[in-house]
Amino acid sequence: MRTLNLKVLTVMVLLFIAGTNANAQEKKLTGREIIDKAYNLPTGDDQTSDLTMTLINKSGSERIRKIKQFTKDFGEVEKSIMFFTAPADVKNTSFMNWSYDDPDKSDDQWIYLPALKKVKRISSDSKSDYFMGSDFTYDDLGDRKLDDDTHTLLREETIDGVDYYVVQSIPKDEDYMYSKTVTWIRQDNFIGLKKEFYDEDGELLKTLKIKKFEKISGFLIITHSEMENVQKNHRTTIQLSNIKINTGIPSSKFTERMMMRGI
Amino acid sequence: MEKLLNKLLDYKWWVMIVILVITVLFFLEMKENTRMETNLDKYMPQDHPAFIYSDKAESWFDIKDGIIIALENKNGIFNTETLDTLKQLTKRFQKFDEINKDDVTSLYTADNIVGTEEGLDVKPFFKRVPKSPQKLAELKKKVEDNEMVFGRLVSDDETVTVIIAEIGDDVFTQDFYDKILKVAKASETDDIKIYVAGRPIVEGTMALLGPKDMKKMVPIVLLVIFIVLFITLRSLKGTLITLGVVFFSTIWAFGLMATVNIPIYAVSTMIPVMLIAIGVADGIHLYSHLHTYIDHHPSAGKKEAVKDMLRQMWKPVVMTSVTTAVGFISLLTSQVYPVKYFGIFTAFGVMVAMAFSLVFLPAGIMIFGLPKARPIDPDEDKGGHSHSRTANNFAAAVIKHKYVSIVGTAIIIVLSVIGMQKIWINSSFLDKFEKDSDIVQTDKFINEHFGGTSTLNLILDADGKKDTFKEPAVLKLVDKMQQDVDNKLQVVGNTFSLADYIKRMNKVMNADSEAYNTIPDSKNMIAQYLLLYEMSGDPENLNKVVDYDYEKLNVTFQLKSDNSKAINSALDVIHTYEDDFKKLDITLNYAGSGYKGLVFTDLILEGQIMSLILSLIIIIVLLSLMFKNFWIGIIGSVPIIITALISFGIMGFLDIPLNTTTALLSSIAIGIGIDYAVHFLEQYRHNASTTDDRLVAAQKTMAHSGKAIIYNAIVVIAGFLVLLFSVFPPNRELGALVSLNMFTSFVGTLTIMLVLLYMSRIYFRKKKVHGIKKADKSINNV
Repeated sequence: MRTLNLKVLTVMVLLFIAGTNANAQEKKLTGREIIDKAYNLPTGDDQTSDLTMTLINKSGSERIRKIKQFTKDFGEVEKSIMFFTAPADVKNTSFMNWSYDDPDKSDDQWIYLPALKKVKRISSDSKSDYFMGSDFTYDDLGDRKLDDDTHTLLREETIDGVDYYVVQSIPKDEDYMYSKTVTWIRQDNFIGLKKEFYDEDGELLKTLKIKKFEKISGFLIITHSEMENVQKNHRTTIQLSNIKINTGIPSSKFTERMMMRGI
Repeated sequence: MEKLLNKLLDYKWWVMIVILVITVLFFLEMKENTRMETNLDKYMPQDHPAFIYSDKAESWFDIKDGIIIALENKNGIFNTETLDTLKQLTKRFQKFDEINKDDVTSLYTADNIVGTEEGLDVKPFFKRVPKSPQKLAELKKKVEDNEMVFGRLVSDDETVTVIIAEIGDDVFTQDFYDKILKVAKASETDDIKIYVAGRPIVEGTMALLGPKDMKKMVPIVLLVIFIVLFITLRSLKGTLITLGVVFFSTIWAFGLMATVNIPIYAVSTMIPVMLIAIGVADGIHLYSHLHTYIDHHPSAGKKEAVKDMLRQMWKPVVMTSVTTAVGFISLLTSQVYPVKYFGIFTAFGVMVAMAFSLVFLPAGIMIFGLPKARPIDPDEDKGGHSHSRTANNFAAAVIKHKYVSIVGTAIIIVLSVIGMQKIWINSSFLDKFEKDSDIVQTDKFINEHFGGTSTLNLILDADGKKDTFKEPAVLKLVDKMQQDVDNKLQVVGNTFSLADYIKRMNKVMNADSEAYNTIPDSKNMIAQYLLLYEMSGDPENLNKVVDYDYEKLNVTFQLKSDNSKAINSALDVIHTYEDDFKKLDITLNYAGSGYKGLVFTDLILEGQIMSLILSLIIIIVLLSLMFKNFWIGIIGSVPIIITALISFGIMGFLDIPLNTTTALLSSIAIGIGIDYAVHFLEQYRHNASTTDDRLVAAQKTMAHSGKAIIYNAIVVIAGFLVLLFSVFPPNRELGALVSLNMFTSFVGTLTIMLVLLYMSRIYFRKKKVHGIKKADKSINNV
């Protein structure tokens, strides 16, 4: 039960550096280098935003959740806290997640249920868990490390006048939930605009599409994305609004006391 | 008509060749395009409200039938070997093409949600198989403490654990089953025994076993019929031609089915049964006439004899066939498509058999020659008016002791009606197997250790009112109902719904205190638990018990039996809550294969009774028209009514439940009963026109039609008694009941119908005074 951390929010978000794309094209980047650029982009130190998550099932029914969230990078640890604002019956339910750079250290997580009036610790150890019943796993949202996979540049493609690198990533762990992923990364700004996830049997499982990205305080932020599980016919969209970056969120924001107090 | 038939005699070779060529074509078509339908859902009427709702509910909640693979270790399952086998098997089944990975559930895949002093812990029970005694003991404790797993995936005595693999409706094949069995059996050791059960296995095996057994039995049935027919017809040629009629008409019926791309359903196996029982009749009657004719006219030529046969017999053959066909066509009123198809194609087969009897059979005689004659000595005293002493004596005795027939029939009717009260309907599939078969034994074994192999899904519907099933009052009522059903009924082993998740979450979030194993009083609390579960557990699990808007709930009841009594007993208890739910604006609906089977069987019976009544009316009308006399219509239907009554009465007394197969058997009562009656009536009318003595007419008819009817009955009864040796119980019941129906039809026709015919004085009214005197005198003479 982790909250969205900083990387999650800026998933596949890349700093737009004018002038570098010409060099990049000349040098012929390897698959690993391309993914490295996509993964390791400078992000702000902290971020605040309103998140709307819509889950759509195969019969077209929707569950809409609204969340106010705060994230901050403390170097060794990234902390985030989120408060539900809708639906009404879960209002003020909050989650806190501390994610450590040390790969051996698993995340610390807490939950506060206002009806129970108690903060509880949660332990769960799978990064393949789906995030809040959505079609995104924590890994999909940005917790994946560069060298967890072997990356190969498959080809370059031009779609609607935009040039893309098409990179295939195969996990080194054979038991991982995906057998491979294929990512379409824009050559001009290194945003991955589309990604396909293949299941253990090599069949297409999910497709991620970035529907909108915006430049906010010098950072490129994806503000609307959609993940579709084609096997289950289930979709999740995530939309961000009111994004504020580097506003200097105090570290006291990420405490059990704040979870109970609400926004 | 007669002219046309006579004309065709000149083209005997052409007739033969055309029929043979078409038969071969149909046979090839049959071989090429015939397919079996094993998906029982395809049998159900898709537009029936109960099925529409059930199908929708199955898609909302992903309700599927599960194959159950049980691992038994008498020394307990908490050891490295058993757990490793469980893990490996679970992984093997997840990799099956026919099974979705997420549809496989076992202790290895299950999440364990536990409460601790400070919070909540969500973890699999084990990933690596525990090796040390200490780790094994830990796992054992975890399982025992989690009641969503204990008693469901691991038996209470800890000697059995199950893997449940849910599959789609259309997945089951014999190969798939064999593959599962092979994988399962390969993992067996001295300590570990593995069982495979579940509704898909039972359904699939049944859909395959019935026809498979039939395939094996039908040739033996035909062989026996062949032998008996040969003895009665005294002619190998005649036997072959008569059986050819049956055989070819069956091929035409199935060939046509394949041509119009209709699959073979389980009930379709009844088509050859019907055609054998009905088809041989025409041949026997035709040959019987031919024998009588040549016995009386030993010097007659081929063509002369055949022409006389056609002249005398084409009418009754057409009449019997048309009435029989109409009887089967009345099955079109059924809502069940396989039954409709059964009706249409049997009717088609009957009409084809009729055409063959009138065209193919005469052509055959023309080509292969007449049977040998046994010339009659006209001067010999036969104790009556026909050439047969037995027929004379029997007819006279029946008429003399007519009150025996009447009283006997009355007693039989009363007894049958009493027996019919005891009839019950059974939609169970399991009950169709031998008690000591693997499938029944495995099922029993799993039912002894777990909640049950059959499920009933109750769908609570708030009709679009969102978040209804987050209300504490609603969930408390659901919980109460579940416990009530569970406690009241032995046959209900387990119940499961959203209420169980909420209770578990409440307990876990309150430091695993048993006092909190309840539905909380606050709606927000429930909503927050649900949110928490969605985030911590597998949200797919929740989709199986409640819909996205929390306005539909799926409550699962696990039953230890799939028979209708068990399902109905659960429904009865559930119904006592209908009013309480109504007050909360919630309606009760049902889903799942067990429930559909129940509704389906009711539908079949309803349709069967409707068509029985309808065809009876049609037959009375047809007979009245054919014989231009309403009373003939009534008298002619008497054997049918008696046959049907006795059939149902005996089923009641012998505790044979009504199911799809046995219900359809009433059609045979009509098909055969009408044949006997029409031949007898037509012959009687014919004989009545040559005499003014009712006894003479009766004796002559008995010698001619009566003999043919007895031969017909003996042939078919002998054939169908073979089915008593079938390995598939429903086929045994079929054999017994067909034989019984043949027997009662023939006895009814030759006794009570004859008596009624005699007493009615039909065909003798005009010559009243004279006739009575003579008849009475002749009876006194016997």
